[in-house]
Amino acid sequence: MGIRLHQEPQLETPILIASWPGIGNIGIIAVDTLRGILEAEEFGEIEPWEFFYPKRVLIRKGVLEYLEFPSSKFYFKRLGGKEIIFFIGEEQPTEGGRMYAEGKKAYRMADLVLDVAEKFKCHRVYTSGAAVALIHHTAKPRVWAVPNSRGLVAEIRRYGNTVLMSDIEGRGGHGNITGLNGLLLGVAKKRGFEAICLMGEIPVYLQGLPLSYPKASKSVLEVLSHSLGVEVDLDTLDELDQKVQQRIEEFYQQIPLEIRGQLDRLKHVAYTQPAEPGPITEEEEKKIVEDVEKFFKKRGEGG
Amino acid sequence: MLGWSEDAGDLGRKVTDYLNLKLNGQEFAEVDPEDFFPMGGVAIKGNIARFPESKFYTCPEHKLAILRTDSPLAEWYKFLNSVLDVAERHCRVRELYVLGAMISFGAHTAPRQLIAVVNSTEMKEVLTQYDLNRDMDYQTQPGERPTLNSFLLWLARKRNIPGVSVWVPIPFYLAAMEDPQAQRKVLSFLSERLGLRIDFSDLDQEIGKQNEQLAVARSRFPQIDDYINRLESNLVLSQEENGELAKRIEEFLGEGD
Repeated sequence: MGIRLHQEPQLETPILIASWPGIGNIGIIAVDTLRGILEAEEFGEIEPWEFFYPKRVLIRKGVLEYLEFPSSKFYFKRLGGKEIIFFIGEEQPTEGGRMYAEGKKAYRMADLVLDVAEKFKCHRVYTSGAAVALIHHTAKPRVWAVPNSRGLVAEIRRYGNTVLMSDIEGRGGHGNITGLNGLLLGVAKKRGFEAICLMGEIPVYLQGLPLSYPKASKSVLEVLSHSLGVEVDLDTLDELDQKVQQRIEEFYQQIPLEIRGQLDRLKHVAYTQPAEPGPITEEEEKKIVEDVEKFFKKRGEGG
Repeated sequence: MLGWSEDAGDLGRKVTDYLNLKLNGQEFAEVDPEDFFPMGGVAIKGNIARFPESKFYTCPEHKLAILRTDSPLAEWYKFLNSVLDVAERHCRVRELYVLGAMISFGAHTAPRQLIAVVNSTEMKEVLTQYDLNRDMDYQTQPGERPTLNSFLLWLARKRNIPGVSVWVPIPFYLAAMEDPQAQRKVLSFLSERLGLRIDFSDLDQEIGKQNEQLAVARSRFPQIDDYINRLESNLVLSQEENGELAKRIEEFLGEGD
């Protein structure tokens, strides 16, 4: 089990941007969109067999032709004076039916990704994921940024539309990042890489739906491209977002009127400038979350 | 030869037990379950506590090694490689046979056609003289994953072990019970292929008995007869009708236990 490099690009001090699927696929859509726009070139992969169950088989005329596994691939791009390595994991190596990676396999996967970062002398690692937030789906999602060292805080404060955990209402600077998008940040710290996780906000009532949330991916990508000093055209994400928004609206209309009324109030939440009819109180926040949870529980029980 | 303990129609367990009985199979190894099954308690089936088992048996006179195993729930790659390590290093296997039961929406009275999936064209050639469908086309559908049989065949190919996955259709309303007709079909193939010369008269009696019971169920319950008649006419039952037929057959055959 290990890394297979198809070529060894000559890179000086690249940065690594890594992502795996997660809630709303926010991080992976952002990272993969950037990889696509920049036409980064594949140069290696992590061998999948011990991490994943196969995802596809092809049998032709009775003969097993091939077995396909979820991919974990590395790409690189030189861009003026900048060099970027992308890592895209098609699945998180989960165990025992869990949604996110944890335990030995997750740690091993994070280590392998960072082995490549070390080999090519990466000086910075970015990961990306989702931040479940009390926002409305018509609002522009913010980006929650978590660095793995205090020295990066000042830099993050200069990013637009970005908040630190200490800026999040009621968080007090604390929280968790589940799965490999978070774990990589920690393993990077252990191995001496500076790293930042950028998480796009997704409305609390959408976190359980099997839908991507490209609106938040766009927010992440805006921050990421600004941080990298790269200009990117985000039209593809806008198109994707429009399609998803239609489905979200359809779902939203199915929510009972009483709960929807509560959720509608989130439209008026503004983070930088309180808007009329005034911010939602802590008690109201709690009620909204409880109502949404009840609704999903009932929906789940109903099949 | 590998059979899964929890297959539809109890196929894997029944076939491996039958071969061990007839060929005097002797247990010689097992896979430690710790890495492959959750150790958070025990399952209870038919009033009895179960514990995951993966046991190897040998029938030296017939140059046959048998594995009867529960399907691992984690670390599949490691598990299947452990199986192939035993097969390759301890048994020096020449060929691998993996059994599989597939749910059929046909009637129990329809002929059971075995389907073979091989991991090499050479193995396909070897099977030409047997009554098997060797030309199946298939690819994984959205929301599905490949079977452990495919995973094992693929790993066997990496070790240059020719292998075949032998699939037998089990009528859906017998899937939760035993299906001696399906067992007989698979065993006949294995007996012929491996030169086992097994006397199947006891199994044939079981098939006759089950067919009689099903005939009684049809004559006693017009609804059951109607459902099976429709299946025999290649008509499709609704999901509710499928469920009802399976439940009533299970209840009826269960009464005879």
